[in-house]
Amino acid sequence: MADRLVVVLARCTDLRAEVDPLSGAITRDPRTAAFSASDAAAIEHGLRIGSAWGARTLVVTAGGVECEGPLREVLSLGAEVRRVPTRGSYVDELATDERALAKSLVAAIGGRPDLVLCADRSADRGTGALPAFVAHELGVVQAPGLVSLELDGEDLVAERRLDYGRRERMRVPLPAVCSVEAAGIRLRRASLPASLAAATAEVPVADVPVPGPAVRVLGARAARPRPRHLPAPTGSSRERLLALTGALLSHEPPTVVGPVAAPEAADALLEFLARNGYLSEARTGWTVQ
Amino acid sequence: MTDVIVVGAGPAGSAAALMAARDGLDVVLLERGPFPGSKNAYGGVVYGRVLDEVLPGWWEEAPVQRWVTRRSTMLLTETQALTVDFRSTDWGQAPYNGCTTFRADFDSWLAGKAVDAGAQLVTSTVATGLIVEAGRVVGVRTDRPDGDLRAPLVIAADGVNSFLAKEAGLLPRTQAKHLTLGVKEVLSLPREVIDERFGVRGDEGVDVELLGCTRGIPGGGFLYTNRDSLSVGVVVSLEHLTAAKVRAEDLVADLKAHPAVAPWVEGAELKEYTAHLIPEGGYDHLAELSTPGMLVTGDAAGLCLAAGIWLEGVNFAIGSGLAAGRHARSVIDSGDAKPYRKALEGSFVLQDHKRLRGAPDLVLSERVQQRYPGLVADLVQGLFTVTNPAAKPGALRLLRRAAKKNGVKLRHLLADGLAGGRVFR
Amino acid sequence: MSGDASGYDGLAFDDRMATVEFRVAERAHIVVDSDVCRSCTTKACVTACPANLFAPTSDGGILFNYEQCFECGTCYQVCNGEGALTWTYPDGGHGVVFRHG
Ligand SMILES: Cc1cc2nc3c(=O)[nH]c(=O)nc-3n(C[C@H](O)[C@H](O)[C@H](O)COP(=O)(O)OP(=O)(O)OC[C@H]3O[C@@H](n4cnc5c(N)ncnc54)[C@H](O)[C@@H]3O)c2cc1C
Ligand code: SF4
Ligand code: SF4
Repeated sequence: MADRLVVVLARCTDLRAEVDPLSGAITRDPRTAAFSASDAAAIEHGLRIGSAWGARTLVVTAGGVECEGPLREVLSLGAEVRRVPTRGSYVDELATDERALAKSLVAAIGGRPDLVLCADRSADRGTGALPAFVAHELGVVQAPGLVSLELDGEDLVAERRLDYGRRERMRVPLPAVCSVEAAGIRLRRASLPASLAAATAEVPVADVPVPGPAVRVLGARAARPRPRHLPAPTGSSRERLLALTGALLSHEPPTVVGPVAAPEAADALLEFLARNGYLSEARTGWTVQ
Repeated sequence: MTDVIVVGAGPAGSAAALMAARDGLDVVLLERGPFPGSKNAYGGVVYGRVLDEVLPGWWEEAPVQRWVTRRSTMLLTETQALTVDFRSTDWGQAPYNGCTTFRADFDSWLAGKAVDAGAQLVTSTVATGLIVEAGRVVGVRTDRPDGDLRAPLVIAADGVNSFLAKEAGLLPRTQAKHLTLGVKEVLSLPREVIDERFGVRGDEGVDVELLGCTRGIPGGGFLYTNRDSLSVGVVVSLEHLTAAKVRAEDLVADLKAHPAVAPWVEGAELKEYTAHLIPEGGYDHLAELSTPGMLVTGDAAGLCLAAGIWLEGVNFAIGSGLAAGRHARSVIDSGDAKPYRKALEGSFVLQDHKRLRGAPDLVLSERVQQRYPGLVADLVQGLFTVTNPAAKPGALRLLRRAAKKNGVKLRHLLADGLAGGRVFR
Repeated sequence: MSGDASGYDGLAFDDRMATVEFRVAERAHIVVDSDVCRSCTTKACVTACPANLFAPTSDGGILFNYEQCFECGTCYQVCNGEGALTWTYPDGGHGVVFRHG
């Protein structure tokens, strides 16, 4: 099939915005803008599937000019790139209406993609809602939270984590929106000649409506967990001393398992969890002997 | 075709790339961090006058935290502190003297100047080795796929651990004797509180050097004011720190707990903790500055000037980088590094080093480090303690007494005084 | 002044290190050969490493984790065991990222 298109929607942001320990002011450093591990995984999946299909791979990012560096790196990996400009402060950006953002991103793609990839959740917004809005906007199916994504002939076979450690394998009909976790895959590095060639390349800016904030954030402050107040022990001085040293509490001695083989160690762990009420047969489907 | 490969976008590398690019050469500037400055840590003051000629008015745009208008040198013992405090309004106006700035900001800014001049900056790329042909450096290997890059000249500006200078045999592999370890804390403190505590206003700032606060391990401490944070740390001899089995961050904690320092840092919260090595061997332990096809600059060549009350590395790195970049073309054309060496000899870079070549030994000596702070503090305490009803003791008697208490012989004091006079003449 | 090993200015070592960003690479850039360390008498790395990454083990060796490393070079400068340390820089873009420095 000719003219196929793989699109990756990747968020590029400071993965470790600084919160001042005294004032709580949040500073995002434009120099450390980067793709999170799962965004990078989505890009790598996009490059692999794109080249297997002989398709174009397009990476779209909504963000400020600070995203251009990381996008150039993607450019030097052979993908096309596009930036959807955002406006307002960092806090405004965090409060962007997710649905409007999905609309802008789809408008920026400007075609009918065969596959849209993105991270299961972005590093700093983290609602996980974007893929659903994008799928809705495009009118295609979505498969969120994938830990593997393989081509099987013309189909995609994906695997995802479910609650309680279960996994699900499925065939994903195309076109589709898939969101992936950073599992077992890392973004490849660009070659030196390609990096040099892309070092000053222009990053195209999509001419689409720029999404604004959905809510207005009035303020933010640093997290300051309160200390836990424990009542002073009462009773005779001997009792108080025993209470303070913990001598009156019953402690389960650490259980030493092993050295044993992995299956036996796993059994021992499960047995421990079941004995202490963390596992029940009904919830896990496991039978614990 | 690449003419010059500069390895390392620290002050030395960016200065070299700037001048070579201005000269019309095709320059590639390689940096292993995700952005220039991301791997670099220092104390906190840049003396920028070296930029006057090449970036006139640099002070208008450099990412300055505060201008140092007040400089204190403190001698500490566990219970005493003697301060020599100097302030000058001259340092608070153009062309200024020193500024506090963060390396992430300063190095990014200077690398940006090199890029504006036409150098190609490639970040997140490690130069892993040299390509050598017939005894001549002809390029570098990098850790990127298809990563070999060739050029008629390589400028090594890869800092204190310079593996490039080591690979070329210009720098010994290990030299703990001539290295100091610096650790630093950046502490958040509101701007008004800093202004209040240090008696400064606007963008005025303070530079405090502290001696005698490192448990007898040769070295010293520093405290600098940024806009709304303090930089506090110690710089200590690696050899002696290791022998004493003391952890460096404990020395910083000591310093912050000292009665003369604690009120300054009270209530300040840690924002970032950093560690970095410093080449402190001085003139007698510089690397060879070149090999065919390669020039060595900045810390890679050991050009940091560390002589007790001076710790200047960034300006020396810039000075040597500018010289390397300026003479890159003639070095390439003539195949001889002489123009670079001559330029350094004609500038402050080697002249200051030569003049102060004896300083590292003297300043890091046992007496200067461990005994003199106590001696001087005891002497001053004696002078200012009112001993009524006893009469005031004479100064010479106080000196004798302080010397004896601190285990110093007066003839050593005299000898060190003369030596100091010679070194710092 | 006291000489406690950790945190007597009210700051635990882990909290200190948590102020620094590390972009952990897949490849360990420093590898310690614990067999060589077993015959090392100084164990200089243990106190000298500003990131406190060298942990002595009960059998006289060293347990090392490369993830929170400043890449300062102190360990290989003070190491007294020939061949104990393989020291390289982390792959480009990885490792420590100073926001201030
Ligand atoms: C604790 C401390 C306090 C100090 N205080 C002061 C002070 O107050 N004032 C002052 O002027 N100086 C001070 N200095 C000294 C000053 O920091 C140095 O002298 C100066 O930074 C040297 O500059 P440089 O460009 O030579 O090296 P660096 O600044 O170390 O730059 C080297 C660059 O090369 C990169 N690099 C290294 N290897 C490679 C490679 N293989 N491939 C690609 N890139 C590579 C590094 O990432 C880095 O960006 C201090 C130093 C320390 C440690
Ligand atoms: S100093 Fe070197 S040989 Fe000794 S324990 Fe440390 S790493 Fe091992
Ligand atoms: S390079 Fe520095 S921080 Fe890293 S392990 Fe060695 S001594 Fe520790």
